[in-house]
Amino acid sequence: METETHAAYKSRFLPWLLLLPTFVILLVFLYYPTLETFRLSFYRVAFLGLRKVYVGLANYREIFTNPEYLRIFWNTAVYSFLVVFFSMAVGLFLSVLANQKVRGWRFYRLMLIWPYALSPAVAGVIFLFLFNPQAGIVNYFLDVLFGLRPDWLTQPGLAMFVLVAAAVWKNVGYNVVFYLAALQNLPGDVLEAALIDGATPWQRFWKVTFPLLSPMTFFLFVMNTIYAFFDTFPFVDLLTKGGPNGATNILIYNIYRDGFEFFKTGLAAAQSVVLFFGVVLLTLLQFRLGERRVHYGG
Amino acid sequence: MKRVLVGLALMALAVPAFAAKKVQITFWHAFGGGRTAFIQRMVEDFNYTHPGIEVKAEYKGSYRDTLNAAILAARQGAAPHIVQIFEVGSQLALDSGIFVPIEDYVPAELKFQLDDYIKPVANYYRIKGKFNSIPWNSSNPILYYNKDIFKKAGLDPENPPKTFGEVMKACEKIEATKAAPKCITWPLHSWFVEQWIAEQGALLANHENGRAARATDVYIDSEAMRRIVEWWKAMYDKGYYVYSGKPEDWDGANQIFVSQQAAMLITSTSDVTFMQNAAFENGFELGTGFLPIPDGVERNGTVVGGASLWLTKGHPDEEMKAALTFLLWFTNTENMVRWHKGTGYFPVLNTSVKVLEWQHWFERNPAYKAAFDQLLQSKANRATQGALIGPFPEIRTIIENMIQAVFQGKPIDQALKEADAQADKALREYNAAVGK
Repeated sequence: METETHAAYKSRFLPWLLLLPTFVILLVFLYYPTLETFRLSFYRVAFLGLRKVYVGLANYREIFTNPEYLRIFWNTAVYSFLVVFFSMAVGLFLSVLANQKVRGWRFYRLMLIWPYALSPAVAGVIFLFLFNPQAGIVNYFLDVLFGLRPDWLTQPGLAMFVLVAAAVWKNVGYNVVFYLAALQNLPGDVLEAALIDGATPWQRFWKVTFPLLSPMTFFLFVMNTIYAFFDTFPFVDLLTKGGPNGATNILIYNIYRDGFEFFKTGLAAAQSVVLFFGVVLLTLLQFRLGERRVHYGG
Repeated sequence: MKRVLVGLALMALAVPAFAAKKVQITFWHAFGGGRTAFIQRMVEDFNYTHPGIEVKAEYKGSYRDTLNAAILAARQGAAPHIVQIFEVGSQLALDSGIFVPIEDYVPAELKFQLDDYIKPVANYYRIKGKFNSIPWNSSNPILYYNKDIFKKAGLDPENPPKTFGEVMKACEKIEATKAAPKCITWPLHSWFVEQWIAEQGALLANHENGRAARATDVYIDSEAMRRIVEWWKAMYDKGYYVYSGKPEDWDGANQIFVSQQAAMLITSTSDVTFMQNAAFENGFELGTGFLPIPDGVERNGTVVGGASLWLTKGHPDEEMKAALTFLLWFTNTENMVRWHKGTGYFPVLNTSVKVLEWQHWFERNPAYKAAFDQLLQSKANRATQGALIGPFPEIRTIIENMIQAVFQGKPIDQALKEADAQADKALREYNAAVGK
């Protein structure tokens, strides 16, 4: 067998040669910047690297002792949890609905997936217009219906709500696509058996469908977590700039701000490293815990 | 076939050889939209009249993006010749060490142009007696108001409020008569705070606003600051002041004013042209007035905002000369007149002001007049010179967070004290990082 697979290549070096472009790209655009980030996190850097002084763990000490940064960690945790939970819950709910063969199902599916095709920047601007306290359409309707005009982005809780809503709205389409695909590949016989045994729709969903979807839920959990940590920068930048008074400042936004607006490259690098390990840890944890619960049936 | 190829190759060689005779100059700026096109037309005019030089203007994003890009390019030894840098980036640009002090490079026969700058502008950009950059786009905050709403509220449409107290009174009337849903808006931006500090003749940093020596202490916990924050908070609590909820949201404030949701707007003079068009399109009459200031203080004047043009170091002599030729042409008397008319930014040369006066420009365009009078009436002192602080961008965020915290109910005393400590820490760290 082995010799046969090798026979495809005339020389032992050819496969390596073919892999070379990939490795070069990984090395230049992934590994080198990552290592550089680790290195810079031990320096106090001025002007994006024109001058730097080795400071050991001072940047990390700052991050883990300064209450401002601890608050950013807390914000990040709350925000990520809400975004992941609601993106997936709403995504699952909508895809179960869209999985039914009702009239116009093609149209519904298209409309559900459509927000995903927008760039986060566009989604952010749309939400900014919607939630403008004085000229936005949300407050126009709230005023007409209930006589309310909340200052959406001025109140910490409301600002967080708008940010979560924007991120969820943008990502629900992604979850719908995957859940829909999973729902359509569910083994019909198991569901049929449940139906014959007289299970209610509620029971059928929670006892049969949901466990059968667990591999997909697990996959989406990882993807949504990554989304919430890394891809939500534009929403914060466009909607709140971390305000009011830092209430919506999350790690990915603060890294950008420290690095490119305040020129504190070393501190930003240290935060990147923390974020990196945070996500690695979370992913490992998910694999550990997830593995036991995930049911690769079918 | 071969002969054709050889011919093509020769032509390919010949073209760059011919083009290389021109000195290539790159100019990075931060003006998008209509202004990009405006700058492009000016650059084309220059290239046409200066056959030996080819200037290429490139839009590089926001002020911050432009500065970042320039520093990164300089690190790689590929810095553009000319970079536009915002006023509060001046100290940072000086510290970065990638620029030359421009005054040393201006030939003696052109020095007269440096003496032509109007006083407030020269005051800002002459650092320790020397121009380090060429002042270009300069602006101030002024009050814009909707004359129709003023009439509806029974206010004098030719006499806008001039002090914090007068603004408050006008707001009471506007609310009582329901002439507009909200009274006033301006972006929640530290720039206005800085202006109000200067208007009171107060300083924002020690060592004479960082002008006499490097600043080591930021003055946020001050009497001048308290007057501003107390009034702002009262305006917010009474529902007179409104903003989009996002800090530094210029467009959001403009949107509220243009859609007639608020009677007044405080924003940059560089929006005069835009506002005149917007008022016309939305069918209301626009008025402009001086920036309202705290009651009972003498009006000291505003600090010049905007940006200047810096020359990077490390280019061959002929390129430095060409870049300088362009810079001085780009900001000469007639081009400053053109720039002012096209954008609303100040004509920063005395001679260009004279040209505009001779053309009766300000009489025909009263909206521009308030802006300009306010600038000319500014007293020249350390306060209106504006602060030089290295980590100014970060301190701006600290001030904006402080205002938002006060809105949420944090006691003003505590908010000022905390912000002061944060700003001092930022300054300390910056000074340590640049090794000063």
